[in-house]
Amino acid sequence: MKLHDYSQNLPIRVGTIQVIAFVLLAILGVRLYHLQINKGPYYADRAENQRIRLIEIPAPRGAIFDRNGKILVDSRSTYNITLTHDPIKNVEMSERLDVYASGLGVEKKFLEERIKLIKTRPDYETLVLKENATLQDITWVEAHNLEYPELRVELQPQRFYPQGETLAHVLGYVGEISPKQLEKPEYQEKGFGPGDIIGKGGLEQYYDEFLRGTPGYRKVIVDSRGRIQSEIASVPPQAGQDLYTTIDLNLQKAAEEQLAKSATKRGSIIAMDPRNGEVLAMASAPSFDPNVFVQGSSTREGRRQIRDYWQNEERPLYNRSIQGRYHPGSTWKIPESVAGLQQGVITVANSNLVCGGGITIGNKFTRCMGSHGSPPLKTAITKSCDGYYYRLALKMGIDGLIKMVEEFEYDKRTGVDLPNEKISRTPKYYRKTIEKRYGGKWIDIETVFAAIGQVTVDVTPISMLRAVSSIGVEGKLYVPHLLKEFKPIGAVGDKASANYVPPKPGFTYKHPELKVVKMTPEQNKLVLDGMAGVVKGGGTAARISMGESFPIAGKTGTAQVTELGKDKGKLKDHAWFVGFAPAYNPEISVIAIIENAGFGGSHAAPAVKGVFEAYVNGWTPPEDEESDENKEKLKENNSVASTSIKKRN
Amino acid sequence: MVAIIEKRQIRDFDWLTAFLAVSIVCFGVWQIYNAQPNESYWSKQIIGLFIALIGMAVVAVTDYRRIIDAAPIFYAIGIILLLLVLIPGLGVKINGQRAWLAVPFIGRFQPSEFVKIPVVLMLASYFGNRKAGTLKFKELCVGVGILALPIALIMLEPDAGQAITYFPLLAVVLFLSAVKMRYVVGSLLLALIFVPASYVIGVQTGFIKDYQRQRIEVILDPENADPRGYGYHTFQSMITVGKGQLTGIKGDTQTSQSALKFLPEPQTDFIFAVTAENTGFVGCILLLLSYAILLSRLIAGARDAPDRVGMLVIMAVVGGMTFQIFMNAGMVLGFLPVIGVPLPLMSAGLSAILSTFIAIGFVISIKMRRFVN
Repeated sequence: MKLHDYSQNLPIRVGTIQVIAFVLLAILGVRLYHLQINKGPYYADRAENQRIRLIEIPAPRGAIFDRNGKILVDSRSTYNITLTHDPIKNVEMSERLDVYASGLGVEKKFLEERIKLIKTRPDYETLVLKENATLQDITWVEAHNLEYPELRVELQPQRFYPQGETLAHVLGYVGEISPKQLEKPEYQEKGFGPGDIIGKGGLEQYYDEFLRGTPGYRKVIVDSRGRIQSEIASVPPQAGQDLYTTIDLNLQKAAEEQLAKSATKRGSIIAMDPRNGEVLAMASAPSFDPNVFVQGSSTREGRRQIRDYWQNEERPLYNRSIQGRYHPGSTWKIPESVAGLQQGVITVANSNLVCGGGITIGNKFTRCMGSHGSPPLKTAITKSCDGYYYRLALKMGIDGLIKMVEEFEYDKRTGVDLPNEKISRTPKYYRKTIEKRYGGKWIDIETVFAAIGQVTVDVTPISMLRAVSSIGVEGKLYVPHLLKEFKPIGAVGDKASANYVPPKPGFTYKHPELKVVKMTPEQNKLVLDGMAGVVKGGGTAARISMGESFPIAGKTGTAQVTELGKDKGKLKDHAWFVGFAPAYNPEISVIAIIENAGFGGSHAAPAVKGVFEAYVNGWTPPEDEESDENKEKLKENNSVASTSIKKRN
Repeated sequence: MVAIIEKRQIRDFDWLTAFLAVSIVCFGVWQIYNAQPNESYWSKQIIGLFIALIGMAVVAVTDYRRIIDAAPIFYAIGIILLLLVLIPGLGVKINGQRAWLAVPFIGRFQPSEFVKIPVVLMLASYFGNRKAGTLKFKELCVGVGILALPIALIMLEPDAGQAITYFPLLAVVLFLSAVKMRYVVGSLLLALIFVPASYVIGVQTGFIKDYQRQRIEVILDPENADPRGYGYHTFQSMITVGKGQLTGIKGDTQTSQSALKFLPEPQTDFIFAVTAENTGFVGCILLLLSYAILLSRLIAGARDAPDRVGMLVIMAVVGGMTFQIFMNAGMVLGFLPVIGVPLPLMSAGLSAILSTFIAIGFVISIKMRRFVN
């Protein structure tokens, strides 16, 4: 080569550059082979995953009805007015502020904040300008579609409780799953994710899996910003099953009316069919409005209300019927009487025990409210003789009391189909504590207190109702329950396709194995006679008698909060009444506890009578200003419900 | 006289090289269309190709020696353009870089793309006419000086990606100008030590900015780097390439990475990823082979060049092109940092295609005159 002498080994150097160039290209080739051939399927998969999104279509949640088909809970469609960023990216908004404010009836200051916020968000994002938009708002937005494309109407299904505070504790409410719940394995296993709506409290929680249905989904292609480009497939959701409860809405309202009329407006009333455990009414006062939890969490007003509910000293969120534990007072004497007969401490033939106006244990005298001589069991129940039961309990002993607790299952949950039921506390529960306090021995004075349902006895209203009801039905301890029937729901999709969701059958409540309290018919009748006597002349609740056509059997109770019989203002005695009617062939049993109201016969017994009257005569809630509005709401909602049912069918 | 020249020119014109270059551009136009079917980039690129062909023809029929003689003038014009682009009123700022000059009727052009040509001419002219013998220190300094001035101006834009493409020009010229092998090996070793060391020092002193550091660190582990941050482009590019597999998606524009905007700048910096997605391994290897043949043709021309100047011009062009191909594809394939170096002949952009064809015009001009003298 002619240029050779100008440079050292020029051809070799040119060749070197050529080799380097080829080596670099070869490196690229090898890398291509690695990415496209070795890892090609992996990257193809990644590309697929990032552009295909599953968008859930929420399933309509099953509605809840009372036993007569009256609507208790439904989902209704609400509309939100939203603002999208993209169309107003380069628009001067000051003029539109006024237009929006007058058109939607929203505060200008709020709009200003929202617009300021959206300007900082990505193009495709939207913000809610107005929740629960009215028909007028929707029409206004639709009419200005061309001028203001940034405004849109979005559908938002929302759980609706047309009865408001009525039955709130039983129904519960729905809300977004909490971060704490998401961490729990039982929720993770079921595939819950952030933002999922689940039942919180009450039937909404207990039967969530049947009410919630199976969500459908849309399979869509999205771009890098998540904007939907096209839809590949769509699977419709399977609606949740409709729940028919055992509740009688009229009776429920009557029970709540009784609580509202009571001295302290605090307490619980439960009505049950003693023949099968169907709960007809379950009221707890004070109550709350579940709609606040559903609608309110996004507004400042709603959040304040929810905080109030949680902080209120009267604890409106707490279901006193199954979570409240109270000393039962003299209502405790009914199971105790049965136990005394069962254990042979007294017999049908000879049931007399001394009253003595009270009893002296050591140097402490514990009195009876009266002086009853040496009464038989029937009189002891009718007059609620404490002296009789002090001696009965002492004869039974602590072991006998515990046997009674076990016989009537006060040491267990009743098994009512509601979440968070509390277990009653009895001498069985407190025994160790007491024995520890007194050097390893149970002492007689505690037996005396326990005899009249004080100190070491704290029971839930539901467990007391269940125990006492059994006496009306030959000792059958039915489990109280609220489920009457779940309606079936049809299949979704083609049977052959992979997205097929099979139909779900309807079902009714399944009773667990029935526990029967053992007693002879004679023993049973003796206790029943006593209970019937309570609501007859001379009994502690004679005033609530409804005559021979509807004889009531029951028992009053006055539970000491501080000192029996003393008016301690806020800490007055709890008033109890539990009973059933007709006395010897009961159809309905009712329990009432009015917190800190005073004597059971004068406060709780009339409340129970109110419920019985509603049962016998039928009952319609009193008319007032609000009720028209409520009816209107109900009507509206019934129509929504019926259309949604049609759709599901 | 004219007719004789014309006839000889047609006979000696390197049709194969020109054909290869045009074929690659046409292939590129198809990929630009795949990347942005709804935009006009692909049609603009066709117009660009015609302008570039005219530019190439003009340069090819001109005697390169006369152009080399005028190298200092071109170099001066280039420096003036690089200065003009820095003036806020004249230079157009895009993505924070003031790298563009607005020209009436033509649109925008990027001086830093064109100035490579006068730099190559200047280097070739200086080192091609030096006396035989080993390279002197003074000559080395002049070479560095020729390069340093435009690089300094480009760094002021700032456009590190373009600036870096100037280094191989000097490296090739020095390598072919009798620089002693021990210096070559020595400087390579120095670079091996100096580059990582300066990176570490640069990070610690804050001279290397945070975003630059992240771009480099992404290379080490693109999948686990913040997928929404700096790792995003690299990882999306790798997904796009890998997704092509053996034969590509064959123009399914509905679900392509660029149609769904997962791939940034698909028509320019990431055109190779689009190629990989659409034509697969087969298409990419064919493209790399085309580059290899084109480079081989150019190198063959260098071996037959009538003088040292011509040889140096061609080899500098070869060095620059090879370097750009490697930097761009390396970035797309996820093993080099994301810096804005276009892929020669493929990326959309009038400046890049025109300057590349002018360079090829030189090569053809040199080859045409190999039998003269």
